[in-house]
Amino acid sequence: MFRSSNVAARIFERQIRTPAPGTSVHCARLFYENLVPSHTIYDVECPDHSFRKFTEDGHYLISFSRNNQDLIVYRPRWPSFCCKEDNCIHDLPQKAKRFESFFTELYTVSLASNNELICKDMFLYSESNQFGVFVTSTAPLHDAPSSGEAVPGIPSIDKITFHLLRLRDGDTLDKKVFHNDFINLTHNMGVFLYDDLLAIVSLRFQTIHILQIRDSGNLVDVRAIGTFCREDDELFLNSNAQYMPVSDQSQLNHSENDVETRAHQNPLYQNNTLLSGIKQRLLSFVFREIWNEESDDALRIQSLKKKFYFHFQDYVDLIIWKVQFLDRHHLLIKFGSVDGGVRNADQHPAFFAVYNMETTEIVAFYQNSAEELYLFFEMFCDHFHPQSRSSLHMNFISSHSNNIYAFEQLRGIKKKAIFTQFVKKMLGSLPFSCQSRSPSPYFDQSLFRYDEKLISATDRHRQSTDHPIKFITRRQPYTLKFKIKTGPEAGSADSRTKKISSFLFHPFLPLALSIQQTVFSQPSINIHFRK
Amino acid sequence: MGSILGDLPSFDPHNFSHFRPSDPSNPSKMTPTTYHPTHSRTIPPPDQVITTEAKNILIRNFYRRAEEKMRPKRAASEFLTQESGCKQPRASMTTSDTP
Repeated sequence: MFRSSNVAARIFERQIRTPAPGTSVHCARLFYENLVPSHTIYDVECPDHSFRKFTEDGHYLISFSRNNQDLIVYRPRWPSFCCKEDNCIHDLPQKAKRFESFFTELYTVSLASNNELICKDMFLYSESNQFGVFVTSTAPLHDAPSSGEAVPGIPSIDKITFHLLRLRDGDTLDKKVFHNDFINLTHNMGVFLYDDLLAIVSLRFQTIHILQIRDSGNLVDVRAIGTFCREDDELFLNSNAQYMPVSDQSQLNHSENDVETRAHQNPLYQNNTLLSGIKQRLLSFVFREIWNEESDDALRIQSLKKKFYFHFQDYVDLIIWKVQFLDRHHLLIKFGSVDGGVRNADQHPAFFAVYNMETTEIVAFYQNSAEELYLFFEMFCDHFHPQSRSSLHMNFISSHSNNIYAFEQLRGIKKKAIFTQFVKKMLGSLPFSCQSRSPSPYFDQSLFRYDEKLISATDRHRQSTDHPIKFITRRQPYTLKFKIKTGPEAGSADSRTKKISSFLFHPFLPLALSIQQTVFSQPSINIHFRK
Repeated sequence: MGSILGDLPSFDPHNFSHFRPSDPSNPSKMTPTTYHPTHSRTIPPPDQVITTEAKNILIRNFYRRAEEKMRPKRAASEFLTQESGCKQPRASMTTSDTP
C-alpha cells in the first residue's frame, strides 16, 4: 500500500492518501512493519509467578502465584529513564532492565482457599466492562460414584467455582458454584464467552449452562440446555402423571429385589425414562432428515432401518463434548462417544450439531467427516469465531478466510493430504475455544512470515529451540525485521533437556514476553520490546 | 472574453470559442439532461425497508441446506434446476405437484 518502507516516508504518504474503504485498520497495521520489538532483555529478574496472558485490550497482565491460589494483576507500561550526562545515546541502563520497569503490580487477590486451586489455563475476559472470569476447583475424583443423571465414566470434581472479578480493582463481583460436576477446565475448552453470554458445559450432567454477565457484575442464569430445552419443560413434565424423575424410579425399585435393580440402574437402558431434551431434538432431526431423503414409503423405511435404527443406540449414547456460540442464538455443539475424548477423531466418530436456543431446534447435523461442513469451514472460517461487538483487535486475527497467505498454506496442506483425513483433522479444531489467539499485529500473516511450529497466535506451549525465531516481512523488501529468542542470551548449556516455551504478546504495543521452562530449573523470561 | 478564467493560454486558439460564460443577469435556460425509466419492472415495492440480515452468512447456509434436505424429495429433473447460487425463490418450485 505504501510506496516506501521508510517510516517517515510512510507518515507523509499517509497525510495525502486515504486508504481504500474498509481497510483503515489494515493500513494502520502496516506501521507495525516499522515498529518492531527488536530489542531483547534476557533473563529478566521477575517475581516467581506463572504469567498467563495479556488481556485483549492490553490493560492488564494476568498471572497466578506458583501455588495456584492467588491472582496477581499487573499493568503494562513503557519504561522511562533519565540520564545524568549530556549526550544520552546509551543503551538502557542496568537498573531499567527490570520487570518492574515494564509492569506495575496493581493488586494480589486470593481466589482459592484450602484445598482449591486456580485453574491456570482458564481465563476469560469481557472487554466491554473489564471483567475477568476465573475458575477454582478441588481435585478431580476419577472413580466417582454414579448418581442418577450423571454419565458414567466421567470423573467428578467436588466443587468448581467461577469467579467474576472487576479487573480494575480486583473485587470479586459474583460467583457460580458447581458441585460434584465435571467441566473441562484446560485451555478454556469447557467454556465459551461471547460478548456477555457465557456457556459452560457440564460434562457429567450433560448440560450446557448459559449465563449472562451483566454490567452490574452479576452472573445470571439464562438457560440450561440438556435434560430440558425450554424453560418450562420441567414444569410441563412434572405436571404430567406419566413422567417420573429417574431418582424416584430407582427409589421405587429398591423396595424390590436388589440384584435386579442394580442391572437397571443405568438410566440409558431404563424403559420408562425419557431421553434428555436435547437428545430428543437430535434424534428427531436425524429421523426427519433420513425420512426426507426418499419419496417412496418403502424405501424410506428401509433407509431408516439401515441408517437410523441400526445405529440408534450409538446416537442415544452420544454425549456433548464441547460447545461454542455462532451468534447470540445459535450454538455449535460437538457430540462424541463417552470414551472418545476431544482429540480422538479416527476411532470414535464425532458429530456437530447447530442448535438454535430460541426455537430449541437442531438446524444442522454433520459427522466430523462431512465435506459440506468442511466447505463451510473453508469459506466462512471467520464466522466460526463470532464477531464481538465490543472488541476491535479481536476481529482482525489472521485466518485462512481473511488472509491469502494463510489460505495458501491451507491449500498446500490440502493438496498433500488424503481428503477424508484432512477434513477430519480440520474439523477436529471445531468448536473453537474462545480467546485462545493473540490479537497482536505481529502475528498478522500479511505483515510477517514466521515459523508457525515455533510460534503462533494460539497460546500454547511449544517446543523450544535455541536459535531465534525470525519474523520476515511478507512484502518487498522481504527483510528480517526482528527475532524472538527464548532462553538466556548465550543459549542454555544443556541442550538435551526438554524445554518448552510460551509467548505473551501485547495486543498492540511492540512488547512481548517469552518464557522458557524446563523441568528442573526456574523459568527464564525474556522481554522483547522496541527500544 | 470577460470570463473568470481570463486569457489563459490554450493549445488551439479556436478552443472554447463557443463558450459563453454564464451571466447572472441573464440565467441560462438550459436544464440539465434528466433520464426517466421507460418501464416499471424494477421499481421497489413502496413499503420496502432495507435492513441488515440478522443471521450471518454461515448460519444462513446451515438453514438453507437444512431446508433443502427437509423438503420432501421430488423428481430428479427438478433437482437439477436448483442452483446453489440462486438467491430469488423460484416461483415454479412451489407451484409444481408432488409426484
